Amino acid sequence: MSENLEQSFVAQLQANQNIIHKICRLYTAGEDAHKDLFQEITIQLWKAYPKFRGDSKFSTWTYRVALNTAITLYRKTKRTISTVDYENHQHFVKDVDYNYEEEEQIKLMYKAVYQLNDIEKALVFMYLEDKDYQEIAETLGISEVNARVKMNRIKGKLKKILNP
Amino acid sequence: MKELDLLKKDWQKNAASFQQISENEIYKMIHRKSSSIVKWILIISILEISFWTFSNLFINTDEVLRKMNHPEIVATLEFLTYFNYVVVLIFVYIFYKNYKTISTTIATKSLMSAILKTRKTVQYYVWYNLGMIVITAILSFFIAFVYNPDMEFLREKLALNGKAMFVTIGILFLVILGFFGLFWCFYRVIYGTLLRRLYANYKELKKIDF
Repeated sequence: MSENLEQSFVAQLQANQNIIHKICRLYTAGEDAHKDLFQEITIQLWKAYPKFRGDSKFSTWTYRVALNTAITLYRKTKRTISTVDYENHQHFVKDVDYNYEEEEQIKLMYKAVYQLNDIEKALVFMYLEDKDYQEIAETLGISEVNARVKMNRIKGKLKKILNP
Repeated sequence: MKELDLLKKDWQKNAASFQQISENEIYKMIHRKSSSIVKWILIISILEISFWTFSNLFINTDEVLRKMNHPEIVATLEFLTYFNYVVVLIFVYIFYKNYKTISTTIATKSLMSAILKTRKTVQYYVWYNLGMIVITAILSFFIAFVYNPDMEFLREKLALNGKAMFVTIGILFLVILGFFGLFWCFYRVIYGTLLRRLYANYKELKKIDF
């Protein structure tokens, strides 16, 4: 592959890397696993890059490849990370000031989200990213109606986890 | 849901708070090797297909059969050999076609289904080979029993003793069963560890999109 292609890919990925970080944050526990998944997603993006024609935005395309890698291709994810404390999930995140009133609630919410399965996490992730249901449905390959129904069920599940 | 909105606010506020990875590091990353399950499935599949194809080449019964002087049996076996080559080619073609549809840029559900399909092709190939082995074993047993002059003695003995005949067939059956069981366990272990999560996620997606 030409050096030009490599250069433009690296520059675009560097600028959009937070998308990948966010997915790693949801799907892994600990710094090593985060780095590992980040690398695998980068490799998969690079492998798919020759087919990227620019008819969608680089970021939109990155969402799809990165989620597919995290859900489907990545091998090392442990499914039982729900017991890990929220603090451990703050890997790669710099110190950020919290409103202390809300901090506890947000902590509990993160904990609850980590207890969801891979598919549910994907829906929540796209919801948090402000994606509309059409894009969520297209990315996962399900119908829009079913994506909505599932998201409502996930909200119910999260509520149940928060108030058992 | 109030808490989810709170989380969303926090999530978006923290979106840019990750330690940034430099271009230099990304350069290094894209030259490293992938460890995705697709790669493993490809490696294992190629090993399986080569193993079964080569093992067919080495199982050679022609010599024994020629000695028996029954050209119709030799012709049947020759036909089976060519038939086998055609089947191998068809399997390899289907495998290649399925493998080509695996792409990270398609929808998650399609990607999972493409991986499982590719995997299934190889699985069918293995079952086909096991089936052929069983058929060949039964045929050889039958041919040896009926046509081989060396077996005359045994044949007469078994014909007189129905119980011995029953035991012989029983043992043959058990050997075949054990053989199948062994392979079944082997595949459970290999693909169980490799595909457990994929199956679970695929089931979950199908459940949503009934």
